Amino acid sequence: MTGFAELLLSGVMSGLIIGLAGLAVTLVFGIARFSNAATGDTMTLGAYGALLGTTLTGSLIFGGLVGLLAGALAAVLSYVLVFRQLANRSPISSLLASIGLAFFVRAGLGLAFGHNQSVFQLDIVRPIRFLDLRIQPNDLKFAAIALVTLVIVFIILHMTPIGRRMRAVADNPLLARVSGIAPRPVMFTLWAMAGAVSAIAGIILGMKTVVSPEMGWDMLLPAFAAAVLGGIGHPVGAIVGGLVIGVAQELATPFVGFTYKIAVSFIVLLLVLLVRPRGMFGRVEGVR
Amino acid sequence: MLTIENLTGGYGETDILTGINLTLEAGEILTVAGTNGAGKSTLAKAVVGLLPRVNGRVTLSGSDITRIPAEQRARAGIGYVPQTANVFAALTIVENLEVVEGVKDRKQRIVEMFDLFPALNERRRARAGSLSGGERQQLAFARALMTRPDVIVLDEPTAALSPIMADESFRRIRELARTGTAVLLIEQRARQALAISHRGAIMDSGKVALEGQADGLLADQRAAELYLGVGH
Ligand SMILES: Nc1ncnc2c1ncn2[C@@H]1O[C@H](COP(=O)(O)OP(=O)(O)OP(=O)(O)O)[C@@H](O)[C@H]1O
Ligand SMILES: [Mg+2]
Repeated sequence: MTGFAELLLSGVMSGLIIGLAGLAVTLVFGIARFSNAATGDTMTLGAYGALLGTTLTGSLIFGGLVGLLAGALAAVLSYVLVFRQLANRSPISSLLASIGLAFFVRAGLGLAFGHNQSVFQLDIVRPIRFLDLRIQPNDLKFAAIALVTLVIVFIILHMTPIGRRMRAVADNPLLARVSGIAPRPVMFTLWAMAGAVSAIAGIILGMKTVVSPEMGWDMLLPAFAAAVLGGIGHPVGAIVGGLVIGVAQELATPFVGFTYKIAVSFIVLLLVLLVRPRGMFGRVEGVR
Repeated sequence: MLTIENLTGGYGETDILTGINLTLEAGEILTVAGTNGAGKSTLAKAVVGLLPRVNGRVTLSGSDITRIPAEQRARAGIGYVPQTANVFAALTIVENLEVVEGVKDRKQRIVEMFDLFPALNERRRARAGSLSGGERQQLAFARALMTRPDVIVLDEPTAALSPIMADESFRRIRELARTGTAVLLIEQRARQALAISHRGAIMDSGKVALEGQADGLLADQRAAELYLGVGH
């Protein structure tokens, strides 16, 4: 029983990371209308930014902020330099460009930081015992950060004027323009948010495991799966989708082994899509 | 108020509009009718700034707006109700109004819109995607009116409506024009539209085939046979 609960717990933790990455994917897809394959490498960039920031300032919190800003800045730059130029072409060109950008970022990070793994120097804390379960206090902090991130994204989208404009553009970009909504501030905000969320996912992943140039790329497919599972363009759905995938992967590991746990996420994805083609939270709109 | 001079343009290489000249005064209603595919919606898009390629000139209150992006035209006083997809389905009713940019005294304006369309007020927290066709059209109208536009372009506003609701819609349009707004009204119900209009234009293959006073067009045998349908 304890074994099961611990797998569940570790599934929730990796699920939150997958979910945050899925949230970044779903935000970009909802508004810029393509699947951003550079999401994973933005995570990596955020993790390295945080590592560097921590080394420079000696503070994990400041380091984390540096990583978050690095992710946001990189994403805004990727929009200005790449995706804005492709906005009037088919989504496939943006997708392909994002794959290219992903390789570029990964290679750059490999050049700058080497291919060895790096680690954050976290204080070793004694696990909290809850019944028979050992819980790492850091995991609680990471989970809290993930949830706060989701809440902030939700508040921005639903309770601020810029968020309302973002949802309007996501819903109907042409109608948004004739309603006086300039696309540029919306796109800048979107990319900054998506970059920051990716970076947070990368930082948590890096703190829980190790930082390496490949860490984010490996998360890309589960992140896409979480976004699709949650109903693309649905922020809360992406997190729940990530949790489902993370938990399914961990619970399946004793049976299928570590190597195949990625495959599990796709089996879950297929099963859910068979029942609900638009994902768990996607809803069919009336005719517009 | 609005002038359209030698307007040509289209979505790709081919010109859909082939030399349009029209003017619209403050407080005037101009009906644009014509068969399916004549280019009526394309003309509307050219006026509001959504047509990818245009040549010629569009002016608003004397200033050339031909090269100005759609969002700036909207703020400069051009309202637009598209033929389809004319509300933000994922947003609530009140959000559909709040989201409009370039509105002076937004809170006050929303109150005015709810006074004008009480049915919307009752469902202000409902998602626009859940509205009936008639309510949706009211919301689209209210959204376009948020900026207190000088010119409003309505693309078949009564197409999805029952005859009774269409009458109601025409009544609102006439009242709007009385307050000084210039209305470019694209309509399939051409006779009814002309009946409340000052002038009318009939489009055919990207051109204005016939233009004149509304009552003249209604009486015109040729217009009647060709474009308005006999009877009604
Ligand atoms: N988005 C588009 N891309 C390419 N061509 C288009 C587009 N929209 C319309 N067209 C073409 O432009 C021409 C004029 O279409 P338009 O929609 O302006 O006609 P309309 O007079 O509004 O017709 P309806 O009464 O059916 O609304 C048609 O030949 C149509 O196929
Ligand atoms: Mg049309």
